[in-house]
Amino acid sequence: MSSLLSITRPTKRDSRSNDYDSDVDMKDAMSEYQDEGSKDNTSVVTPGELVTEDPTWMKGHGTYSLENQTYSSVAGNVLRLNRLLSVIPIRGRYEAETGDYIIGRITEVGQKRWKVDIGCKQDAILMLGSVNLPGGILRRKSESDELQMRNFLKEGDLLNAEVQSVYSNGQAALHTRSLRYGKLRNGVLLKVPSSLIIRQKNHSWNLPGNVSVIIGVNGFIWLSKTSSTSTAPSVNASTNSAQSALASKGGYKPGEGSVSITRLEEESSWEIYSDKNDEISASIRGTISRYHNVIKAMSACELGITEKRICMGYDASMMYADTSMLIEREAQEIICQDIIDSEKMRGD
Amino acid sequence: MGKDAEISLNERNFVKEGLKNGFRLNGRSLDEMRRPIINIDKNEYGFVEVEFGKTKLAVRVSCEIVKPYEDRPFEGIFTISTEISPMASPMFENGKNSDDEVLISRFIEKAVSRSNALDLESLCIIAGEKVWHIRADVNYLSYDGGLIDATCIGVMTALQHFKKPDVTMKGTDIIVHDFDQRQPVPLIILHVPICITYSFFNPVDREENIKGDANLEIAIMDADRSEELVRDGFLVLTLNKNRELIQISKNGGLPIDGLALIELTQRAHDRCQELTEHIKALLQADEKERYKNMNLHLLEVGASR
Amino acid sequence: MSRLELYSPEGLRVDGRRWNELRRFDCKINTHPAFDGSSYVEQGNSKVICMVRGPMEPPMRSQVNQTQAVIEMNLNIASFSTLQRRKRSKNDKRMIEMKTTLERTFEQSVMSHLYPRTLIEVNVQVLAQDGAVLATMTNAITLALIDAGVAMYDYVSAVSVGIHDQTPLLDLNVLEENDMSCLTIGVVGKSEKLAMLLLEDKMPLDKLENALAVAIAGGHRIRDLMDDEVRSHGNQRVSKLTS
Repeated sequence: MSSLLSITRPTKRDSRSNDYDSDVDMKDAMSEYQDEGSKDNTSVVTPGELVTEDPTWMKGHGTYSLENQTYSSVAGNVLRLNRLLSVIPIRGRYEAETGDYIIGRITEVGQKRWKVDIGCKQDAILMLGSVNLPGGILRRKSESDELQMRNFLKEGDLLNAEVQSVYSNGQAALHTRSLRYGKLRNGVLLKVPSSLIIRQKNHSWNLPGNVSVIIGVNGFIWLSKTSSTSTAPSVNASTNSAQSALASKGGYKPGEGSVSITRLEEESSWEIYSDKNDEISASIRGTISRYHNVIKAMSACELGITEKRICMGYDASMMYADTSMLIEREAQEIICQDIIDSEKMRGD
Repeated sequence: MGKDAEISLNERNFVKEGLKNGFRLNGRSLDEMRRPIINIDKNEYGFVEVEFGKTKLAVRVSCEIVKPYEDRPFEGIFTISTEISPMASPMFENGKNSDDEVLISRFIEKAVSRSNALDLESLCIIAGEKVWHIRADVNYLSYDGGLIDATCIGVMTALQHFKKPDVTMKGTDIIVHDFDQRQPVPLIILHVPICITYSFFNPVDREENIKGDANLEIAIMDADRSEELVRDGFLVLTLNKNRELIQISKNGGLPIDGLALIELTQRAHDRCQELTEHIKALLQADEKERYKNMNLHLLEVGASR
Repeated sequence: MSRLELYSPEGLRVDGRRWNELRRFDCKINTHPAFDGSSYVEQGNSKVICMVRGPMEPPMRSQVNQTQAVIEMNLNIASFSTLQRRKRSKNDKRMIEMKTTLERTFEQSVMSHLYPRTLIEVNVQVLAQDGAVLATMTNAITLALIDAGVAMYDYVSAVSVGIHDQTPLLDLNVLEENDMSCLTIGVVGKSEKLAMLLLEDKMPLDKLENALAVAIAGGHRIRDLMDDEVRSHGNQRVSKLTS
């Protein structure tokens, strides 16, 4: 039917077509798109697009299949891992994976469990048995603990945690059984799309200016005043030394407690569940808000977020004396361009 | 829909499995409609009962004189009320219009009012002052699927049967004549829309439905209750015998091949013609009967003299 | 019926298009980064914004479906979207019909069984109406859902077509829509399968096939245009995400 018609092409707007003309022009080739032959045109596939006709591929996430054909069901990049073919969506909600370092907010206190909003499709579960309670790690959870769950964590509290496991229905279970995890205080939460977060070895850093950042893999970012007993590595030194410092201080190694049990007992006092913020000086507040706006700018320009880039963005933002100027679209773009430029200069 | 709208998985599979093999639980073939039983009231004008298998409804058409809408001073008013009470089935809740109920009333409204089946201008008595307000009240007595088709037949039969009292003007006053004084006048019906509902079932996976070329989707006419609960989508066609489509409503649901849909409209047209004839025959029979009962022989004799 | 000449003997329509030409189609995705997915679509002078949240934990227990995601549409038509300012209530029958239609259309094309016990909330805001509003809404929702990373079998692209005398006219504007019968279709991907088909005024039965053919071709064209936007946006994003 369609061959009868020649429907004229409505004109493209010019704002977008600067660098990406090559993709726009291939639209007619797209309809004749058959198999992997024309794949090198673009790495992005869109819903309903035929990915492969080869039946040997196993179908992973983001695909569906009919007989031998495998189609994409999301807009994203094709990932071929051994014989598994999946499409990773460009955007989308965070999908929890075991071991992810995340930040969440309590939404519900239930029977022996908290429900935590982690920006996932479903709220995650934090069992009473997977948190440190005052009195030490080896303590049994008693009925009285169950009754005073709201004293530990209540609706609206923020915490950082690790994904312990993911159930078959996609729901995540969390744990906070390490001193690095627990209730968050003295800072501000910032949400960015989780696709912008790049998974790294370490997700909590001390930034210049006495500010700490925790970059949750789920796109929740916590900026706070560096606490005096912080174990997070400093990034003032070069990355390499930071890495070694991390190793020496007992960085993140799954399954290996970084703190001795005795110290854990000391620190697992009620204090870790306190709601009271420390004294925060105006200058630190200013620094925190500057970092906050820098990260916001990066998210607005859809730049991947790493600690190094945050630092570079922070330096770039210094040309604006007033942090409130950073929320202007123009300033945001300038900062991001700066980050990209300085990355190029360093050659990475 | 409310409670009782659910059907057990077992039953669901049974209905589907049957359809895959071309059988329906009610013994009909896939595009066979239940034969509507239309009872026209012998005494009153504009009261019709329709039985569609176990689906049963009563339509009553009434009229009154009202002031017209300001933006349409030359037109009468026509309203259809289709509220489904729990009497029909416990799945309909009282006072709470579910999306399906709203859809049903929209379909009827589009089929009958929007298509100008009733000539509204003929309902005008004094422009901008007084017009007839015709209302059709549909009461659902029992539900076993096919509400839309049955309602449309009911409303159209009742409208064709209804007669409104004659009026005469005397200066600015109007006199409404009693049925005994003057013969009441029928409404002017411009065409008779007939609704035909097809229900779609997907015998295969959704992948096959979207990407496959086989077009295995099953379309059945006039589904009953269990089939309506199991169906994956439906299509309401409204047409008249002049080969005019009045409405097509496929409100989402299972994607169906365009050519298959065109074929359905053709088949629906045959069915529409049958139904129109059926209604016409019934109305004529009723008219004859009434004429006989009125004992107008004397007048006839007088006229021939 | 009207004094306007809708289709001149030379084959031009009121706005200068030919019978098989679409109006200007302009779309953007990711217009509202605070949402999981968002889009803005202009079809001629019809303008629609769509914002998607989810799949997410349903705020109400009643919205939980154990086997698949629940799709909830919230339509809002701005009172300034037509020439006469008119407030449309949410409980208007027409609005409920559109909402139900859209919900049922996307229930079939979203792979909702992948997201059990979640809610996908779709908010649609119509800013300006110039005909084919339902079609514009459908296109906007498709784009926003794709932007949200929700798994879909294929695009649903919608377009309207009318019959003037003997000629089918593609993608009607409001002037044309008022004066001729208008068929709105939603076509799935590049197939000829129709998820949505709506006709509200009289049309000769024998013209249907002709009109459908034009509409399906138009739908495919719109799918391509939407696909371009998704691709160019995707490539742009990927190029920035290099770490």
